[in-house]
Amino acid sequence: MKHFKTFKALMLSVALTAMSLVGIPTDGMAKSKFVFANSSPYDTLDPHAIYDVGRVASRLNMYDGLMRWLDNPPKLTPWLAESYNISADGKTYTFKLRKGATFHDGSPVEAKDVVYSIERILALKKGAVSLFSKSIEPGSTQAPDNHTVVFNLNAASSIFLATVPAIHVVNSDLLKSKEVDGDWGGTWLSKNEAGSGSFELTRYDPAIGFQAKRYANHFMGWGDKYLDEIEFRTVKEINSRVLGLLNGDFHGTDGYLPQDQVKRLKADSNMNVLEEESMRIFYSIIHNGRKPFDDVNLRKALSYAFDYDAFINNILSGSVARNPVPVPNNIWGNPKDAKGYTYDLEKAKEYLAKVKGPIPEITIGALAGYGQTEQAAALLQNGLSKIGLKSKIVAEPWSVASKKMRDEQQMYDMLWLWRSTYYADPNNWVGEMYACDQVGARNNSWYCKPEVDKLLMEARVEPDQAKRAANYEKAAKMVTDDAGGIFVYNTKWFGPYNKKVKGVRFSPIGNAQEMRWVYME
Amino acid sequence: MLWFVPTLIGLMIITFTISHIIPADPVAFFAGENATAEQIEALRARYGFDKPLHIQLVNYLIGVTQGDLGISIYTQRPISEDLLARLPATMELTFMAVFFSTIVGVPLGVFAAVYRNSFLDHFLRVLTVSGLAIASFWLAILFQLLFAMELQITPLQGRIDGWGPEKITGFFVLDSLLVADWESLQSAFSHLILPTLTLAFPAMATIVRFTRAGVLDAINSNYVLYEQAMGLPSNLIIWKYVLRNALIGTVTQIGLIFGILIAGAVVVEAVFDWPGLGLYAVEAIMNSDYSAIMGFTLVTGAFFIIVNLIVDILHGIIDPRTQD
Amino acid sequence: MLESTKFIISKLSRDRTSLVGAFLLIALVLIAIFAPVLAPYPEDVTEFHPPERLFGPSMLHFFGTDRMGSDIFSRMLFGARITIAIAVIAVGVSVLVGVPIGLIAGYNRNWISDGLMRISDIFLAVPQIILAIAIAQTLGPSIENVILALSATYWPFWARLVYAETRSALTETYVEASIALGASPFRVMVFHVLPNISSSIIVRTTIGMGGTILTAAALGFLGLGPPAPSPEWGRTIAESREFLPEAWWYATAPGVAIFLVVMGFNLFGDGLRDILDPRTRRSNDG
Repeated sequence: MKHFKTFKALMLSVALTAMSLVGIPTDGMAKSKFVFANSSPYDTLDPHAIYDVGRVASRLNMYDGLMRWLDNPPKLTPWLAESYNISADGKTYTFKLRKGATFHDGSPVEAKDVVYSIERILALKKGAVSLFSKSIEPGSTQAPDNHTVVFNLNAASSIFLATVPAIHVVNSDLLKSKEVDGDWGGTWLSKNEAGSGSFELTRYDPAIGFQAKRYANHFMGWGDKYLDEIEFRTVKEINSRVLGLLNGDFHGTDGYLPQDQVKRLKADSNMNVLEEESMRIFYSIIHNGRKPFDDVNLRKALSYAFDYDAFINNILSGSVARNPVPVPNNIWGNPKDAKGYTYDLEKAKEYLAKVKGPIPEITIGALAGYGQTEQAAALLQNGLSKIGLKSKIVAEPWSVASKKMRDEQQMYDMLWLWRSTYYADPNNWVGEMYACDQVGARNNSWYCKPEVDKLLMEARVEPDQAKRAANYEKAAKMVTDDAGGIFVYNTKWFGPYNKKVKGVRFSPIGNAQEMRWVYME
Repeated sequence: MLWFVPTLIGLMIITFTISHIIPADPVAFFAGENATAEQIEALRARYGFDKPLHIQLVNYLIGVTQGDLGISIYTQRPISEDLLARLPATMELTFMAVFFSTIVGVPLGVFAAVYRNSFLDHFLRVLTVSGLAIASFWLAILFQLLFAMELQITPLQGRIDGWGPEKITGFFVLDSLLVADWESLQSAFSHLILPTLTLAFPAMATIVRFTRAGVLDAINSNYVLYEQAMGLPSNLIIWKYVLRNALIGTVTQIGLIFGILIAGAVVVEAVFDWPGLGLYAVEAIMNSDYSAIMGFTLVTGAFFIIVNLIVDILHGIIDPRTQD
Repeated sequence: MLESTKFIISKLSRDRTSLVGAFLLIALVLIAIFAPVLAPYPEDVTEFHPPERLFGPSMLHFFGTDRMGSDIFSRMLFGARITIAIAVIAVGVSVLVGVPIGLIAGYNRNWISDGLMRISDIFLAVPQIILAIAIAQTLGPSIENVILALSATYWPFWARLVYAETRSALTETYVEASIALGASPFRVMVFHVLPNISSSIIVRTTIGMGGTILTAAALGFLGLGPPAPSPEWGRTIAESREFLPEAWWYATAPGVAIFLVVMGFNLFGDGLRDILDPRTRRSNDG
């Protein structure tokens, strides 16, 4: 029939058009433009509004701090500050700013900008504020001259210096001009930037990501090898990031992919997978404040019921290091001689027998969308059933879990999650996770033992690192012996990059998302 | 059409109730894990969540009449802005799916009827029944597996590579054409292929079935018999009279088809990470973003009601006889 | 009743597609009942063997193993139980709630019936899956909450349907007559209207099971269904995604299972409709 032929022809032409359109090769990448595929969206660019690992790239590349954590093992390096001085009582920190550092609009970086930045953090009460809110009063920070900043802490603190990199310095004049209704320029800054960092913003769309170009006048100077442009794009699906890497659409992505994907990338000749030991422990919280979990015998039984080997060697293909204590293996303050627990059902039953009273069904929490936490929960459930304990797994999104974690009644009996590095100090782990003054905030185990707490509080003000290390080692061992939680592994970072990418510097804080030294061949 | 308004209000009351029994506290989430109790309370007050529930509801309803749907806790932007920004993505996808399923489905349905009980007819019957039995999200994943991962002839997901064409209408294909941005056009088109196919599949199945039924009814009707007896060529009969009847059947089903498409869009957008309203809804629900959930439901509900309204009117025009 | 049942069965057995549907459904029920016997590794619903994870299909594991090393084939068989439970209970509850509401609303002409239909319209204004997701996410992921969410969003469909059918049935002469003779509303609804519309309900229930299973699987896929380590089919598909394309069997098996079950209900339902409900019969000559 005539009409059938027409119809056929129409379909054919549509198909051909489609095929040919699909077949047009994509444009090659500009020579020195680096594109990174990120797992979470950059929903705001305001460096004082967020403090998580998923969105670190915007802060690290467009902003500077007085100091910066570099490399692995992490070294605290002077950055905007060229030197610092701590008073004898440990309460006054004086920083001397280097001269010649400028913001992207050309104006000089001065002490008043640093003061404005810390005041802004305290006022907005977001992001990294809890690192400073207890020790710095609003209005206590001074700028005696253009290049001197003085922090007056209300008590001596040995961790203050380690947290200084979290004070991202913003252009106070620029932000004051953009202020609306006392928002400290927040509405404007969420979509723009006011920094002095190595790269300046050229394009931003919260649904897509951001683009930045090299800031030639950056105070650190540039060698002859650098990137002209960087782009950080949101690509949520793991498979998309991997495929994009293999295709050449992206040049790098986060280093915490599942091991099966890492193997795939390692096998490709265009890929170069870097390997570093990070500082990010995987563990399960145990609700020490709830009966019968306050009984150390039950906690020990739980600790012996998890198949660490199967999890690390089979599910994670041996890609991580066993870390039996609540401090990463590769930082000072880690008790090297701590034994930790093994998968031993006999021992588990032994301790279980010592528990008095009935044990109700145990709720094991996992984070929805994070397969590893669900697998760990399933493995634990399996082990528990072998020693006669019933349990149920509850997988909820982070938004739900993070709220429940703060409430003693709503918190699960156990919860699987990671603890990343915000600053390279053992306080970031054992010092917050098991301190009495952090219960309900950063201590979600409701663990509060006076002997442990004494060690932790001492370490917070003791200036001598060797003494602090001794305290943290002891405290970590005590918590482990006391089975305060189930500590499994320390993450290894496997950074997949296109083989043309060179100069990547990894640090557990920042996770190699600082592009300053990177170049493409 | 006065029942429009009370229905919408009722809808908002229901979603308000649902979204407020949620155990998660999104305010706590966005205050960050370091927030203290006072900081969370301050944030809560800023969004008006500290007032009693019924007052929150009333404030919301008043706001809606002024076009204010509240602020999304997650994106920190006005929800009406968010919805407007995401609307073109869903509309482009839905439009493509409707277009594709119609231009493929209607002719197929006609041929199945005209050549009924032929191999083509039976094959189509199997295909259409299957089309309605396949889970959309599974079909999406299969398409991804085959075309994006194994054969690598389409992208895996997303709406476009890179930043897209200059925003004029928000429809990437259209905008790319308008500014002659061929790279964006190719990228937008290739990203549309799999989601459109997935979304269109069940819709196409429905269209084929109903077109076939409509055509068969028409062919067997007395009217056509009369025309045949009068000696009109059969081609003419089919394309002029039977098709019109078939289209009536399809139009009746447009309401149904839109239902399939919108429901399908949620899951398809989730799998393909398509930044439209469906994905927005899923994300809002997962993040317990109360206001966003209500805004989305309101907009979808209104849209649905309007579509059904239009279908009723169209029906009345095309076919004054009320069908059963 | 017996006569018509025999009649239905004989007509059904002549329709090939209905037979296929019936066969699939019977297979589903048998699998669900005898899963522990049929499954080669019944303990794999809760047991794990991490060293054997992500093995491809083989004689030992027909559909390979999953991310924890469990036999996928066995887990899929047990998943059938979950699927049947959700479908039957959700549809059952929504019918048991929606039909009476529809009858009452259809019979009366007062503000109650208007109100009931208005409420139904509200629910029907939004795609079922959106409301179901909202409800399921609110209550937390579990099989009970999925059933609740599905029932809560499905009863309005029945209410609306039965309302329309009731209104139309009330215009039948014999019904008017029995009302005139003083039959109570209950009598009229249950003994006159209901039998009239029962065939329509039965047909749509069967077809509705298919749709409900798809929505339930979507909820499982989004993580709102029974939690790990449940072998629910939608959840398994979601789990499989990060292991594609290498572990293609991991995503294929549950999807095929869903497909076969829904096909079964659809084909059988279509067949039933052709027999029981001639008014909406699709043109099926030849």
